[in-house]
Amino acid sequence: MTQHSVLGTQHSTWVGQPFPRIEDRALLTGLGQYVDDLTLPGITHAAYLRSPHAHARIVRIDTAAAEALPGVCAVMTGEYVARNANPQRMRIKAAGSPNVYALAHDKVRYVGHPVAAVAAVDRATAEDALDLIEVEYETLPPLVVAADAMAPGAPLVFDEIGTNVLWHDTFVYGGVDEAFARADQIVRERIDIQRYSSTPLETFGSMAQYDPSNGAYTIWGHTQMPGQELGGISRALRVSAGQVRFIVPRMGGAFGNKLRPLNLISLALLARKAGRPVKFIEDRREALALSQSADMQVDVEAAITNDGEILALRIRGIVNEGAGLDFALRHNVLMLANTVNCYRVPAVSYEGYSVVSNRPPIVANRGIGKPVMCLAIERTVDAIAHTTGLDRAEVRFRNFIQPDQFPYETPSGNLYDSGDYPALLRKALEIIDYDGALEKQREGRSQGRLLGIGIAAGVEPGISNAGHNALIGESKITGAGEAARIRMEMDGTVTVYTGGLEAGQGHATALAQVVADQLGLHPDQVRVPLTFDSGTHPYVMTSGNYSNKFHGEDVAAAIGAAQKIRDRLLNRASSQLDAAAVDIELRDGRAVVRGVPDRSVAIAELAASAYGSLAPDQAEIDEPGLEVVHVHTDPMAIRMDANRRVKIQLSFPSAAHVALVEVDPDTYETKVLRYVIVHDCGREINPMIVDGQIHGSVVHGIAAALLEEFVYDAEGQLLSGSFMDYLKPTSADVPMIEGDRLATLSPFTPLGTKSVGEGAAVVAPAAIASAVENALEPLGIRIGALPITPSRLWTLASEGGARYGHADN
Amino acid sequence: MSADVDWGVDVKRSVTMTVNGTQHTADVEPRLNLVDFLRIDLGLTGTHIGCEHGVCGACTVLLEGEPIRSCLFFAIQADGTTITTIEALAVDDQLHPIQEAFHENHGLQCGFCTPGMVLAALAFLEDNPSPSEREIRVALAGNLCMCTGYVNIVKSVQAAAAALAGKAGT
Ligand code: FES
Ligand code: FES
Repeated sequence: MTQHSVLGTQHSTWVGQPFPRIEDRALLTGLGQYVDDLTLPGITHAAYLRSPHAHARIVRIDTAAAEALPGVCAVMTGEYVARNANPQRMRIKAAGSPNVYALAHDKVRYVGHPVAAVAAVDRATAEDALDLIEVEYETLPPLVVAADAMAPGAPLVFDEIGTNVLWHDTFVYGGVDEAFARADQIVRERIDIQRYSSTPLETFGSMAQYDPSNGAYTIWGHTQMPGQELGGISRALRVSAGQVRFIVPRMGGAFGNKLRPLNLISLALLARKAGRPVKFIEDRREALALSQSADMQVDVEAAITNDGEILALRIRGIVNEGAGLDFALRHNVLMLANTVNCYRVPAVSYEGYSVVSNRPPIVANRGIGKPVMCLAIERTVDAIAHTTGLDRAEVRFRNFIQPDQFPYETPSGNLYDSGDYPALLRKALEIIDYDGALEKQREGRSQGRLLGIGIAAGVEPGISNAGHNALIGESKITGAGEAARIRMEMDGTVTVYTGGLEAGQGHATALAQVVADQLGLHPDQVRVPLTFDSGTHPYVMTSGNYSNKFHGEDVAAAIGAAQKIRDRLLNRASSQLDAAAVDIELRDGRAVVRGVPDRSVAIAELAASAYGSLAPDQAEIDEPGLEVVHVHTDPMAIRMDANRRVKIQLSFPSAAHVALVEVDPDTYETKVLRYVIVHDCGREINPMIVDGQIHGSVVHGIAAALLEEFVYDAEGQLLSGSFMDYLKPTSADVPMIEGDRLATLSPFTPLGTKSVGEGAAVVAPAAIASAVENALEPLGIRIGALPITPSRLWTLASEGGARYGHADN
Repeated sequence: MSADVDWGVDVKRSVTMTVNGTQHTADVEPRLNLVDFLRIDLGLTGTHIGCEHGVCGACTVLLEGEPIRSCLFFAIQADGTTITTIEALAVDDQLHPIQEAFHENHGLQCGFCTPGMVLAALAFLEDNPSPSEREIRVALAGNLCMCTGYVNIVKSVQAAAAALAGKAGT
């Protein structure tokens, strides 16, 4: 990709540079220190006995034989958990709020539901012990698809809430009915999306230790929200948050999948019961069974004019949440954040259903509901082109929010920061040579080749405003922000601690660049410890690595803290250089009087005096020590208004994707020939890292469209539970990713940055669906569901062409 | 089942192997995987476990110079062999040219696939020192990366090939 094309000169030294990552060296030499690489004296290893049934009552559990096996240190069941821990509650008080424990104790609600846990001297012995536990189940009818769970009289997944519809609401913004009444035409699309996952290569893991002398726990484990996790864990374990030291080692990928607090709670209880530290690393079978996005159905009705202008949208989303609460209701809310995508749609309504079922609880996979909403809107736009006879790109150009309309407020209250959507699509079409591609397609078709051009455009909403919780219920958590602590050491180097976490995004490098600029240092002089430790790192409830918030919240928090350090240094420099603080700048490791380069003092010298000079006259100049905390609160993250309008997300990067595919007319295998993305994430702190994020994200999206699916049978059994049948893309399956960037700066973040990382996975499935449908135009096949597999296309083609969707739900 | 059932696993067997130039002898259960032997018994945690069923390649090590999946190998199968893991690649704090190429080309993000990827690339480039893009993609198709979309991994291997060729030429 080329360098910034719109962005002007940057008034910074390090921000904007493709600075090589400071994370790499340890990772390249095998010194990553992921959670499974850690150990403790006396460590034991856990294994979980999991339900083979999707829905059953537990009649009896006999653990005597397992407990007697040599090498077993503890066996724990749901009954122990219910006695010694509080149930998990939904983060948001919504209508139905069932109690969920870290182990099943009355019923099992999905295949893989943990029923008992064993700690033993090694993993193999722990697994041997699982074979000795006897469980008697009374099976109940499984509810696998949302439609069955919603049917009147369906058996209940959670008896205590009396319904399987956890939440249902309708939001209307603007004159939707009026628009439909005056529309020339109405276009309807139904989209079904499968359960899939970005499957971090490192599975979920944790290690826990209990200290009976003070009742305190130390937990090393995965999370993406350390503040909320600490709150939830300590509440569940019935201790103060100060009695849990929570350490989050560097993660081998996360993608939203590593937010599963029940694992941490059960392991902590097991460590307490065993009286020894215990470690649990999920195996791949467990990871695939327990880290899935929601399967969803979205219906869109678009009121349009004959010119292809969209007047209003009516959207209905049904989310199959599975049988848990970790991320319940979130898909719906985030779909609501994305209803108009990048289009000027004045009126929109959204009706959402959150349905519990006997599939595993969903996790927050990369994009959480945004990919399906983008897919639904982009499929609708293609359908509008189909209906009106306009070119697919042309319909988009006619409906795009225009560059002079920013900041642009959407009907539901999101405030789009900046963008030039027409320029993005124009550029993407230019790179792919759209007219040339259409010509080649015509030629190819005459020779029986199925060539397709896919077009998709989208905003990629990022940074959750917890104020959106008000849409679904009561919550004490509001706003958005992050905490940072910076200590300038006595040698003038700095250490930066934040509540963010590292899972591969290069946050340490980016923060080093940002902080180096603020303090006139070299990034090598900035250390960013990658292991979060609640004993050293500051945090708030919105802390963590999620919703692409790093560029805004984490960076702003680090800048705020660095500026406090800078002010303190300037106090000292001012006294030493006999100049006003405002006349002094920090650069190249020195405090320099502006315009008088020979009046300067080394930052290291100022730092040394901050630590060493404690005489009262020195303390008057500045307080001793050089350590500050700054909590950034995002000024945009305001509460919901009286009309239920709220900024659900705060950052709106955008992109246009164009894909060229070829479908094999014999096997119906789809090959991606070229993939172009032109994106806008505002100012880039490190363009090399941004490129890497985009490549990975695009490939996640391509794979979701063509390969990946957690397939369930009618009994709720997972049929694709290994990497042999849950297909991940390999290097041989995907092309090089081409493209460019056209940056427009966000007016709402300190550096003009916007989110990056999640985004390409939001838009890519839509581009692939568009391309495959376009390739199959001669066969009359329409695409209304993912993944688009050869066997499904083959079946449709042999039936003479039809619409590919899920008829059954 | 009763607790005194005979699992047949406590009959340990002696194995000897040379790992990264050091000879190790240990008594191991026959069911112990090579990857667990390397990680737990020898403390070489640079070799990672991503699937334990032979698909992801995270556990790749070199056995007599050839890449193998150490999750599909029992430790006792490796008796008498010579093994290289990621820990042996950098010499005297100097990264191997392939490691250097991954660093310069941003060929890693979370780093979990990286040790396996680097070792697979090392063995591949020995067989094919000047590969095409397609050959690299096919050669590395047994190593999954969930982060990079493979773009910069392919570029890293291309750069490593060039660097190694340059080195060989001097
Ligand atoms: S862990 Fe060995 S191939 Fe995946
Ligand atoms: S860098 Fe994360 S799996 Fe490859």
